[in-house]
Amino acid sequence: MSQLQGRRLNPANIISIALIGLGMVVMFAPFVWMFSTSFSTVREAYSLPPRWIPSAFRLDSYQRVIKFIPLYLYMWNSLKITGLITIGQLIFCSAAAYGFARLRFPGRDWWFALLLSSMMIPTQVTIVPIFILMNRLHLYNTHASLILPGLISAFGVFFLRQYFLTIPEELEESARIDGAGPLRIFTRIFIPLSGPSLSALAIITFLYFWNELFRPLIFLSDYNLKTVPLAMVMLQGQYGAGNTAVIMAGASMAVLPVLLVFIVAQRYIVEGIVLTGLKG
Amino acid sequence: MNATDLINPKEKKSRSVQCKEAMAGYLFIFPTMLGFLIFILGPMLAAIILSCFSWDLLSPQESHFIGLTNFSRFFSDPRAAAVYLNTFFFVICEVGLFISIGLLVAMALNRTFHPIIQYSIKISYFFPYVTSTAVAAVIWSFLFGTDLGAVNYYLGLLGVNKIPWLTSTDWAKVSVIIVDVWKNIGFYSLMFLAGLQNIPAQLYEAANIDGVNGWQRFSKITLPLLSPTVFFLMIIGFINSFQIFDTPYMLTRGGPGDATRSVVMYIYEHGFSFYDMGFASAVGLTLFVIIIILTIIQFHFSKNWVHYR
Repeated sequence: MSQLQGRRLNPANIISIALIGLGMVVMFAPFVWMFSTSFSTVREAYSLPPRWIPSAFRLDSYQRVIKFIPLYLYMWNSLKITGLITIGQLIFCSAAAYGFARLRFPGRDWWFALLLSSMMIPTQVTIVPIFILMNRLHLYNTHASLILPGLISAFGVFFLRQYFLTIPEELEESARIDGAGPLRIFTRIFIPLSGPSLSALAIITFLYFWNELFRPLIFLSDYNLKTVPLAMVMLQGQYGAGNTAVIMAGASMAVLPVLLVFIVAQRYIVEGIVLTGLKG
Repeated sequence: MNATDLINPKEKKSRSVQCKEAMAGYLFIFPTMLGFLIFILGPMLAAIILSCFSWDLLSPQESHFIGLTNFSRFFSDPRAAAVYLNTFFFVICEVGLFISIGLLVAMALNRTFHPIIQYSIKISYFFPYVTSTAVAAVIWSFLFGTDLGAVNYYLGLLGVNKIPWLTSTDWAKVSVIIVDVWKNIGFYSLMFLAGLQNIPAQLYEAANIDGVNGWQRFSKITLPLLSPTVFFLMIIGFINSFQIFDTPYMLTRGGPGDATRSVVMYIYEHGFSFYDMGFASAVGLTLFVIIIILTIIQFHFSKNWVHYR
């Protein structure tokens, strides 16, 4: 703690805590309303004052959602795409980070600078040519069209390289003397020592791609290939004018996995994001 | 490896060792760099070329070179000014709110000494950040309902008239900003909190001994030492907000009219509804150039106010 306000309940502290508490309510309120509305009847959903506690736990709306779209399939799709991208990034980014951090080869720093500069390129600039490319490769409307470009992360390489640079050279030297080559040094020394950084990268990567809307909206049109955010678009289109409860049921189901993961792993998520922010 | 290598480990390695290391190096970076060439560099160059073409997706052989026509078409489109103005408005308001509210929340959090309370507040602010924008925007689209929405109901209790959050061209923009700030404020608060906790306590102790008041403590110690964090978050917020798409798309689909249409929504519309790919590429390039220029300007001015230790 760097502030020395003391543990007194002075007015400034009380006001701060009150405002923070109000903010907390604002952060959670929409989700509480979402859960409550998902259990209400259509009419109740529109009644005022808004209901924060459901009068009964009706599952009608949830059943409607499942009948309308294969939401479990969509969750599996999201999991598949996000999982493969995350694992792929961990492997490829750590390998590249090691190469750039500890191996010497002609043009190394030049290649790294080139890769780094690509962080400035927004997705929307490259999305049209990538779309055309996927079309040519007959990969449009497949999960591969989302996974393959997702395996490249200049940020991931940068972030992991920063960490690798802090690993003492003596460890490498002694391994080299024992006859270990780069691969063994990488897998036996660098990877085991990088737990926090790797999990931080995994967490933010997973979160980012799980919640992604833009690329799936563009690349996936097949009914069975869609992801969870796209399910929300579909529900909005079908029930937007009439049935709030059904849409909220869909939203609740979409949020539930994230909520569970968050409850279990919040410390790692929070630490991970702060870590990537501080290093980046 | 022989005895002399052990005695002088830092000496230049033999040619074959260097060669092997170089090969290993190339192998390690190969997957990423291959992907970089195929999915980043290649498309970047292709976008530049595409922007000068009228590209027909279905029959590419029909595509023809049209020079800078796409660009002139864009600059003479009145909607172009509208979407850019919208986007600028979003960026300025959002970054301003991210920094100010984020800092205030972090400072208030910093006063909370009880670790459990501080921790639970931290994570509750963070929860909206980890959910999908699609879900968040859909929920808010109902909360912002003019007649039946919860927000107007509670405002009504305070004596405020019903606000047409999503149906008025001005209020719709505000709604987008509110949702985006609500969703992301946890990230900024957390970053500021980390930055605040990095400030050595001795500085504040010394200030206390000198009898410095609260405002001076803030302006002379906290702000300068926090300036790198502020700058970093400004850049991040700026670049992210410029690319805004999910929130306006899910909240209002760009409406009413074009009131909340962002540049990226415009690109999406032209590239993937009208399949006018050359044009969409051109607009994408303008976005890229503007982001780069404004980022460089910010970096340039940062020398005046960012203090690095």
